[in-house]
Amino acid sequence: MALYNFKKIMVVPTAKDFIDLTLSKTQRKTPTVIHKHYQIHRIRHFYMRKVKFTQQNYHDRLSQILTDFPKLDDIHPFYADLMNVLYDKDHYKLALGQINIAKNLIDNVAKDYVRLMKYGDSLYRCKQLKRAALGRMCTILKRQKQSLEYLEQVRQHLSRLPTIDPNTRTLLLCGYPNVGKSSFINKVTRADVEVQPYAFTTKSLFVGHMDYRYLRWQVVDTPGILDHPLEERNTIEMQAITALAHLRAAVLYVMDVSEQCGHTLSQQLELFNNIRPLFANKPLIVMANKCDVRKISELSEENQKVFTDLTAEGIVVIETSSLTEEGVMQVKAEACDRLLAHRVDTKMKTKKVHDVLNRLHLAMPSKRDQKERPPFIPEGALLRRKAMETNAPKRKLERDVEVELGDDYTLDLQKYWDLMNPEEKQDKIPEIWEGHNIADYIDPQIMKRLEDLEQEEELREKAGEYDSDEESEDEEMKEIRQLASQIREKRKLKILASKEKDTQGSRMPRTAKKVSLSVQQSYSCIRLNDSNHYARRSRSLVRKRKREVSAPPTSRTRSQSASRPPRDQSGVRDAKMLKKVKTMMKNSQKDMNRQGRKGESDRHVFDVKPKHLLAGKRKSGSTSRR
Amino acid sequence: MRIEKCYFCSAPVYPGHGMMFVRNDCKVFRFCRSKCHKNFKKKRNPRKTRWTKAFRKSAGKELTVDNSLEFEKRRNIPVKYNRELWSKTMEAMKKVEIIKNKRQARFIMNRLKKGKELDDAANISEVKKNIHLIRAPHAGQAKQLEDKMVQKLAEDVEMDE
Repeated sequence: MALYNFKKIMVVPTAKDFIDLTLSKTQRKTPTVIHKHYQIHRIRHFYMRKVKFTQQNYHDRLSQILTDFPKLDDIHPFYADLMNVLYDKDHYKLALGQINIAKNLIDNVAKDYVRLMKYGDSLYRCKQLKRAALGRMCTILKRQKQSLEYLEQVRQHLSRLPTIDPNTRTLLLCGYPNVGKSSFINKVTRADVEVQPYAFTTKSLFVGHMDYRYLRWQVVDTPGILDHPLEERNTIEMQAITALAHLRAAVLYVMDVSEQCGHTLSQQLELFNNIRPLFANKPLIVMANKCDVRKISELSEENQKVFTDLTAEGIVVIETSSLTEEGVMQVKAEACDRLLAHRVDTKMKTKKVHDVLNRLHLAMPSKRDQKERPPFIPEGALLRRKAMETNAPKRKLERDVEVELGDDYTLDLQKYWDLMNPEEKQDKIPEIWEGHNIADYIDPQIMKRLEDLEQEEELREKAGEYDSDEESEDEEMKEIRQLASQIREKRKLKILASKEKDTQGSRMPRTAKKVSLSVQQSYSCIRLNDSNHYARRSRSLVRKRKREVSAPPTSRTRSQSASRPPRDQSGVRDAKMLKKVKTMMKNSQKDMNRQGRKGESDRHVFDVKPKHLLAGKRKSGSTSRR
Repeated sequence: MRIEKCYFCSAPVYPGHGMMFVRNDCKVFRFCRSKCHKNFKKKRNPRKTRWTKAFRKSAGKELTVDNSLEFEKRRNIPVKYNRELWSKTMEAMKKVEIIKNKRQARFIMNRLKKGKELDDAANISEVKKNIHLIRAPHAGQAKQLEDKMVQKLAEDVEMDE
């Protein structure tokens, strides 16, 4: 059932827009660059692609239009009739037919030109063929301008139709204009139909929904019907007639007893009799509306007779007033019940019922003893029901308090707390004290524990735990301490003073070896008084030395060199100092190790200007900082 | 509102301070400042990082087991407000705090006493060895000799008599 597709129909573009759309799409989505010197098959392929692409687009869009719009034969006859009334079936079918033809024509054009292009031998010729093809396709579409406009209007109107489900429970309101149909629907449902004193305020069908007996009901409001033959009816009235004809609903014929609508009772009766054939097979109720103005009993004899006649025929007549809501509920209940009964009856008459009935079995348990077992309703529910019925004032809501106090209102949730002493409800509860959470200390036995702790503390104090050690120190120790500190100070000063002195003069590094000069060298040497002096050999001599037969070192023996303590132990007095020395060494090496340097003097930078930091664009942001 | 404990250094984290990290196994870590947070991210063990309370407690540098510390314990069942209970608790808290501080201070003092003894021993040995740096070795000896002689003379005079 194509109920909701009416809203999902795609927009039908105007002819001009359609052409622009498709052509720009072709330009964007197909390759644009082509040169004379390309191979001919490439040029052909390029232009053929464009033609086919355009054809494809047109074809797709037009097919979509054709499938989206409902086929009048496929949808429910109510909607088919409604659309006929509103849009004229013939015009509609014609428009869609034109679109279909256009689509086929475009396909043919494309096919032809693609075939021709196979024989194009230059870029110019292929290009002209493509131009011709696209031009023809666009002209075909330009001719459809009227159809497309019409379809767009149809689509817009169609999407705004109220969604009436033709198969569900429906109540249909009909009658002369201005009798009170729209007021009724406003009262009974949440619909908000315009109510005005002039006739034909309601110009189309309106739907409202209501609940009764846990079921959803549709209430359909129709425009007023005047009394003339079917052929002379206009579109607005025809909508009402269509609804009456096709919807299987309970009909509520509304009559205006006070004749405020501008038509006498006899005229209304006439209309009623005229459209009587439409009410066949439908539960009917006559509403005598506007009874607050004039009741039936206040009417004249002959008018009263009208109503008595109706009742005699077996039609239910109920007096209602949309203003005072008198009889509205009654009408609702009556109409709904009768419609339900009617629907059940029709269902029972169909063949499908037997399948369902065969599977249903109503089990009535037989009484096993005489004990009464009524249903249990809790007390609270009974009270609530009573309160609902008597409309007793409910408890004061927070919202009421807020409205009362206006600006001074503050939300105070503490008043709802359930404490042991209700007068403590407004207390400000402390949570934190001096960096501790009070909640961590809460304990019902806290006082007892505190007592124990204090007792323990007393015991400890008595045992002398908290006595100060200051007094146990005697005078002697104080004096010794003072002397010791003086001694240490003096020592430090002495050390500093000795450091100032230059006792050794400038020293040679220990790697320097004792050199005994040859006679030649001793003569060249100026300082002859130093026979044994440790001198640093010049480089060339060192080299020469290496090339000759290695002689044992003349200045020291090997045992002597071994007896010299290794570098990291020389000058270290004890384990404590050794540890400190090692720590100092490691500390000074930490930085270098972390930077991966060979030593103190390694200042080599492997990458002075790293490219990844200094070049390139930023992903987001400016490159003004690097 | 609660004052939480920093996961790394066990310092109090007041509301509006620090950072909270929730792991995929739903364990929550609170940090008092970025120092603790960064150390945590470097996967350092707070029990081995010397400046944290966790290290100090596990290395026995601070009071761990004591009755006064049992008063402050995180309770998972909240208690309904009751004015007298709250006021009693507040008083008790203050007293417990005093006792706790005393005991903690005493513990640390006891620990440092040993150092004091070593100090004393070092002082004594220092004085014995190097007293010559501040006092001349025979500084008071002349006076002592004089006193001895005077005493001896007095004894002689007595004996004579």
